[in-house]
Amino acid sequence: MRRYLLPAAVLVALVGAWQLATSTGLLANVLNLQDFLVPSPSEIAKTLWEDHSLLADNAWVTLKEILLGFGCALVAGLAFAVGLHLSETLRRAFYPLIVASQTIPIIAVAPILVVWFGFGIGPKLAIIALICFFPITVNTLDGLRSVDPDAVKMMRTLDASRWAILRRVESPTALPYAFSGAKIAVAVAVIGAVFGEWAGSSSGLGYLMQLDNAALNTPRLWASVTVLSAMAILLFALLALLERKVVTWR
Amino acid sequence: MKRTIKLLIAATVLFAALALAACGEKPENLNGQPQPFSLTLDFYPNPDHVGIYEAQKLGYFRDAGLDVTINSPTDPAAPIKEVAAGRSDLAISYEPELLLAREQGLDVKAVGALVDRPLTSLIWLKKSGIKRLGDLRGKTIATAGIPYQNAFLETILARANLKPSDVKTVNVGLNLLPAILGGRAQAMLGGFSNVEGIDLKLRHKDPTVTPVDQLGIPTYDELIFVAQASRLKDDSEPIRLFLAAMARGTAAAEKDPKGATQALLEQNHNLDPKLTAAEVKATLPVLSQASLKRPYGYMNQAEWQQFIGWMRDHGLILSLPTPPQVLTEELLPGSIPG
Amino acid sequence: MLTRTGAPTKEPLSIATNGAPPDAGEVRIAAVEHAFAQLQVLAGLSLRAAPHEVLGIVGPSGCGKSTLLEMIAGLREPDAGTIAIGTAAEPSERLARCAYLPQRDLLLPWYSAIDNAGLALRNRGVGKAEARRQAGQLFQRFGLQGFERSRPSELSGGMRQRVAFLRTLIAGKPVLLLDEPFASLDAITRGEMQAWLAGALATEPRTVVLVTHDVEEALYLSDRVAVLSTRPGRLVSELTPFASRASDRDAAITTPEFGALRAEAMQALREGSR
Repeated sequence: MRRYLLPAAVLVALVGAWQLATSTGLLANVLNLQDFLVPSPSEIAKTLWEDHSLLADNAWVTLKEILLGFGCALVAGLAFAVGLHLSETLRRAFYPLIVASQTIPIIAVAPILVVWFGFGIGPKLAIIALICFFPITVNTLDGLRSVDPDAVKMMRTLDASRWAILRRVESPTALPYAFSGAKIAVAVAVIGAVFGEWAGSSSGLGYLMQLDNAALNTPRLWASVTVLSAMAILLFALLALLERKVVTWR
Repeated sequence: MKRTIKLLIAATVLFAALALAACGEKPENLNGQPQPFSLTLDFYPNPDHVGIYEAQKLGYFRDAGLDVTINSPTDPAAPIKEVAAGRSDLAISYEPELLLAREQGLDVKAVGALVDRPLTSLIWLKKSGIKRLGDLRGKTIATAGIPYQNAFLETILARANLKPSDVKTVNVGLNLLPAILGGRAQAMLGGFSNVEGIDLKLRHKDPTVTPVDQLGIPTYDELIFVAQASRLKDDSEPIRLFLAAMARGTAAAEKDPKGATQALLEQNHNLDPKLTAAEVKATLPVLSQASLKRPYGYMNQAEWQQFIGWMRDHGLILSLPTPPQVLTEELLPGSIPG
Repeated sequence: MLTRTGAPTKEPLSIATNGAPPDAGEVRIAAVEHAFAQLQVLAGLSLRAAPHEVLGIVGPSGCGKSTLLEMIAGLREPDAGTIAIGTAAEPSERLARCAYLPQRDLLLPWYSAIDNAGLALRNRGVGKAEARRQAGQLFQRFGLQGFERSRPSELSGGMRQRVAFLRTLIAGKPVLLLDEPFASLDAITRGEMQAWLAGALATEPRTVVLVTHDVEEALYLSDRVAVLSTRPGRLVSELTPFASRASDRDAAITTPEFGALRAEAMQALREGSR
């Protein structure tokens, strides 16, 4: 419990300072950040309460996209890592392409994906998977390659097949690395979902944010951002918890 | 304890740095030198702005003693906020957005019209098979995610006895053209008659382009110049000079469409010359022009009153301001300073 | 003969072997040469270990001892010469007949001690419960009872090496290759481990090729000791200790005869270092 005290205290201090800066007029008059640019935490809290069902409904839509998209990224990311690890040829052929895939500007790709897949959940999943598979693949691959060669030699003398080595030595070695990649991916998945919604959607927090931005509804815009941040933190924490349960030897 | 202090210091430094970066600067008034003046466009440079770029190119702003910097935003909702916060002298915005901003308490006022009629249109292509409004039933309509335009759509559908649930609306943000070209949407609301309308025509897509004031929405000024209301008391002269130069620039563009197109192309290298020339041709007639009866930038207060009423009736605003509260005609060329 | 652990048994356990015939454990190395890049590591080495015999190999560091073990196991091919285990000459066949105990115990940190020990069985498709049962018997026999569920990180260095040794035993291979197995242990533990190993081999005889830099260890544990020279490694001398794996280790290594043997071995080592 104690480990959460420090970050919670920092968060409370920052929010408190922010609230003070807005209510004393420091933000508006001295720093020229009026309330239609930066609302106060109390305004955001009020909006979170008043519009809680609207925010919750849209948050659920976006959360579904994130979970499914992250799932796709996980499957693809791990498959790539294992495939590129097992075959040197595949690795030399595809690793540069995998890196290049991250240079594609999402803003340009999102509308194209919408034209291909329509306005449903498809393009959102594609964008999230595109952004998120990369850290999973790179980290897991590094983990697989960090296996102790002597351990592999030893396993071979214990009649281990290639599959047994992968299963009993390489995969457990790579597991902490895979979790690192997954934690990075889940934090970025939230951004991917928003970009996907901006390209074409009828619901979701990204959709709501766009409407609120055009309508100059700054408090609810920031309220949506708050909910998205909370989602990212929660998912990250869940993964960290899972890691502690699964990786019991570190 | 040490770590806590380090964290707090880091957070404070970060906060301060962000704040400093956001500090606005007030323009200086230099004697004998042209006065710096910032204009924020509504979007990237496009045919709606030919008058501005002609004035810039032909030196009309300099003649008026202004050193004009023209900025384009990536987010069309930002310019009005910049003006309200004093970070820009003038912005191009939209009549509905100005009314929403005033509702929120932003310190802004309209000082002149750039385009004094709606450009926002309902557009469908021949291939969609839609012939009348009623054919929209069951179709997918792409929107730009702007709530007042969604209200436009409700009004338009009501004319054809359709409810919002009779159609599928999708918010595609700035991606209206890909949505309709790709066939995912059969119609779109939010494109401009003089930009997307012309674009689709030149692509031989045979579009039906209907500005919203022909579909039951009262007329309004699509593009307006907006300034910070509180500065108009003491510091309105630069804006008056700007608008006077705009009148000259727009008149020059009317006389020389090719030159005006060229001035625009020099500012935005992403524009296709042939398409831009066609769009400029369609834009010049809708730009505000000085005439014998009306000054450049004229805003019709009766029409404004009617549109304000429509906004209130559709729940977009709660209050009912009078036109003099939201606009001023005192800075238009030829008007007597009040 | 009483083993060190005090459990008087003579019959070997029924450890599932991988089908190799019990007497296939003769190791023959003939005129083996090997070089890494330009560096000649082994030069014309010929050795032999009879079935159930412990062959000790001592020599200065860098003389190719570990490389030799890898080659016996079929994990590496020599530039010249032949290696055979029983009738098996192909590397994959030799691999099937060897179990390798490296210097580091290489216990997998994500398995318990007993699951580590049963790895060879699991790799052959034996179920988890059955593998644990078989390994459990050895844990009982060799004084490791109570540590079955421990994680390697919870065990001392000596315990880990014991588990690692059991792992190689369970593999049921006729040949064990031990690569400086006790080098990372302190002197007292090392002595205990040598005595323990002697007792284990009494119960579970195997052909053993033991590589070590500790002359006393080689002389105590081996039936024959080969002394190698520095790079390029060649055979300097072969000695035949007489008190191999005597049950009272401390007594055995303090006899004057043992001292003389040690001196002889050191002399050979010095010769090979010139």
